[in-house]
Amino acid sequence: MTTELTVNGSPRAVHNPPMTPLARVLREDLHLTGTKLACGEGFCGSCTVFVDDEALASCLVPVGSVAGASIRTVESMATPRGPLAPVQQAMKDTDAVQCGMCFPGILTSLTALLDENPRPDRADVETALVGNICRCTGYERIVEAALGLGTETGAGA
Amino acid sequence: MSGSIGTNHPRRDAEDKLRGRTLFTVDAEAGLMLHAALLRADVPAGRIVSMDLEPARRMPGVRAVVSAPDAPGIYGVMVADHPLFAVDEIRYHGEPLAAVAAETIEQARAALAAIEVVIEERTPLLTMAEALAPGAPELHPDWRDYELLAGEGARDGNVSWESTVVRGDVDAAFARDDVTVVETLFRCGRQNQTPLEPRAVVAHVERDRVVITTSTQFPWSVKSGVARMLGVEPSDVRVIVPAVGGGFGMKWEMSIEPFAALLARESGQPVKLVNTRQEEMQTALCRENAEIRIRSAVTASGEIVGREGFVLLDCGAYSGEQPFLASMVTHTLFGSYRLGSARLVSQAIYTNTPPNGAFRACCGTYCVAALERHTDEICAELGFDRQEFRRQNVLGDGDLGPTGDVFEGDVLGPMLDAMDELRDRSPRHRPDNDRLLYGTSTTVGTWFIFVGPSAATVNLNPDGTATLVTAGVEIGSGSTMQAIPQIVADVLQIPVSDVTVREADTDAGGYDGGVGGGRTTVSLGAAGAAAAAEVQRKILDLAADMLEASPSDLTLDDGRVVVDGVPSLGVTIKEVAAQAQARGGPISGSGSFTGTGNVGMAGCAAGHYIGALDLPVFSVHECDVAVDPDTGHVTVLDYRVVQDVGRAINPRAILGQVQGGVVQGLGYALHEEVTIDRRGKVRQEGFETYRVPLAGDSLPVQLEVYEGAPSMGPLGVKGAGEVPILNVAAAVSCAVADAIGRTVSEIPLTPPRVLGLMLERDGADVELPHVPTDWREAVVADAEQLLAVAPR
Repeated sequence: MTTELTVNGSPRAVHNPPMTPLARVLREDLHLTGTKLACGEGFCGSCTVFVDDEALASCLVPVGSVAGASIRTVESMATPRGPLAPVQQAMKDTDAVQCGMCFPGILTSLTALLDENPRPDRADVETALVGNICRCTGYERIVEAALGLGTETGAGA
Repeated sequence: MSGSIGTNHPRRDAEDKLRGRTLFTVDAEAGLMLHAALLRADVPAGRIVSMDLEPARRMPGVRAVVSAPDAPGIYGVMVADHPLFAVDEIRYHGEPLAAVAAETIEQARAALAAIEVVIEERTPLLTMAEALAPGAPELHPDWRDYELLAGEGARDGNVSWESTVVRGDVDAAFARDDVTVVETLFRCGRQNQTPLEPRAVVAHVERDRVVITTSTQFPWSVKSGVARMLGVEPSDVRVIVPAVGGGFGMKWEMSIEPFAALLARESGQPVKLVNTRQEEMQTALCRENAEIRIRSAVTASGEIVGREGFVLLDCGAYSGEQPFLASMVTHTLFGSYRLGSARLVSQAIYTNTPPNGAFRACCGTYCVAALERHTDEICAELGFDRQEFRRQNVLGDGDLGPTGDVFEGDVLGPMLDAMDELRDRSPRHRPDNDRLLYGTSTTVGTWFIFVGPSAATVNLNPDGTATLVTAGVEIGSGSTMQAIPQIVADVLQIPVSDVTVREADTDAGGYDGGVGGGRTTVSLGAAGAAAAAEVQRKILDLAADMLEASPSDLTLDDGRVVVDGVPSLGVTIKEVAAQAQARGGPISGSGSFTGTGNVGMAGCAAGHYIGALDLPVFSVHECDVAVDPDTGHVTVLDYRVVQDVGRAINPRAILGQVQGGVVQGLGYALHEEVTIDRRGKVRQEGFETYRVPLAGDSLPVQLEVYEGAPSMGPLGVKGAGEVPILNVAAAVSCAVADAIGRTVSEIPLTPPRVLGLMLERDGADVELPHVPTDWREAVVADAEQLLAVAPR
């Protein structure tokens, strides 16, 4: 089956059975491996992408259900040679990154939060990250970075 | 000075990881790549009556099918007892039976379903109590014939390995009429590492060699292990390691690499094999479950005159790391405190369960928990102040460790003082709620740096920058991305950003003992520093020619070689590097490092891979908890850490490691537990049933970095990434016991378990009838022989 959708601003046509998880289509057909697929069950959040303007676990999104939708992945948060998006820069500045597998999803979840709530408090950030597992960092710097963005520069990307 | 040491240099790999550009092994793509899947046993014990692979070979897209006859080797860490595929006998649920490579992963899985296997099930031995019961069948009837790969330990049937310590006259100590004997039991479950990147590998054949790209912590071990399994020379295997998406010890041992290698050889095409999350949950080389009995004879003045311990570690179906870890039980459970006499038996037990492995601070986590609960029980029994008793008894300069090795420096004592200061200046969060039960704890812990061989090469490039070549992997901790280039930059006095780090490749970097055991910054750092020092000497020699000066009058400073006392007279390193192209050739240096191989006092330790610690490392943790008496729910209110780091190369990176390690430890202490059902199957199949800490479970850790303890590491450094998890279960267990006023002998402290303790429910107290009380009956070695050689 052919599905037409927009990915990071470009129209794409992909050919998969309709129940194929969007995460696999992004990674295997479109080679956008920034989106990770660490559990495949919607718990770890490493595959979180924007589907239209909603941050979703793309491992649970059948590609057939997103025909005509606009998908945005971590690769589109900053232009290849341009500066990092504020939420990315905040993670870099706070030395938050360790193994890095969770960050594409965490950046997406936090961008969604900051778009909706430019001044989140700690509880808001923790709630926004309830679907994102990080096994390395103990979260504190990620939370701090998000709170810092809220107070200093407003919304993320 | 270039100022590279003690400063918060950013990670060079952060931006790629944030942009989604980093290619992990799971992201690897290659032309004509096949996808592999494993057929795994769905019973925990049984005999393979027949297995027909032919139907799989006829399935669409299938390019290779392999099974036991294709992989003749047997591997292990200390004992070679582990075949790649089950050979006739199935020993755990999930054990590989066959592997298939096909054009798509769906085709590979469909082919697995076509394999016809007939298995005659046996009654499994799922617990250590079952494996040790009189008359229990042996999981490995041929254990006597197994090759020993490292050291020697007493073995007997389902006891895959035994480590013993005998120092001084314990019987006499316990018989004294001026001592009180306190006994503590402790039990813990398994913890799954759950790195977000599962184990993953891509293999292909190139010029008759197998080239393996894999997510491992220890490339040289994969190289030798794959060679062993394939029956080829290690030189016929090349291992390349891109960024690794977390390891925490699970990727320390070789795991799925040989399957991909076999299939690549069979098919002639690149083969990719990635564990599903379910496979990762079912077959992770977890931190082992263990059962501990410890007792001490303590005088009224607080002197520990004798200590005796019995520890069972569950190694699962194959011995793996646990015979090695039996040594580390000694240095953790019997560490930290001065002991007048000591006697300890640690046994690694075979069961029909998935093999266990290494996990950040390994057995140290639960041994420190057991020891610190025991210490608090001693204090309660004898009426000592918990902090004062620790201050009185912790090891100091010149004191003897558990195996009679002499400790250097006063470290734990001053660290307890540092904790007093940290406590005084840290915020305390105590909710205004009289209904909750509050508790606090102060715990000490001893762990080690697994020093061992490392090699490094530093090339000075014609532009004056340097390239560091090692087989050190970046698993996320930052050691190879931050600390080691900082050390090299410091020696060469060039900016840290001018040190390029070569990705780990066994065809480029010399032997290295792996990224784990807190060893990276110490061992690879020392090798890197030595390689850089050779480059430095060559720079000075050539600069001396250029400046018509003596090399001894020259110093490297901020990218230049300057004449001592005449700072204006000098050349840049870049000019020296360019000059070298024409005079003598490009400059490079090589360096190496290994530990001293401390073994302790003669006759003390038997069956120990680590007889004594080359480089101990210490930590002091405290936490404050609130327990809800209605639900048993534990809330950690504050957490404080004083950690011995030797010297802080990058303080901010250390805090990142401590925060991450403590939160991982909170999961272990409070809710993470892998359990096995009566069919031998791991109950937790994913993150729905195995809950790891989330952002809402975290709290900011207060850290005081303790510097200045003796260390053989470069610049006096010790590894900082492994230790942060060491004391967490101890700190939480002790604080919960303090809060509820009951003995806590088991982790994780889930609400039902805590509530059970508070309500004194049946079964809430740990009983370990199969963990022996009589030392002479417990040992499988000859007890009288051990006593005869032990120092009195």
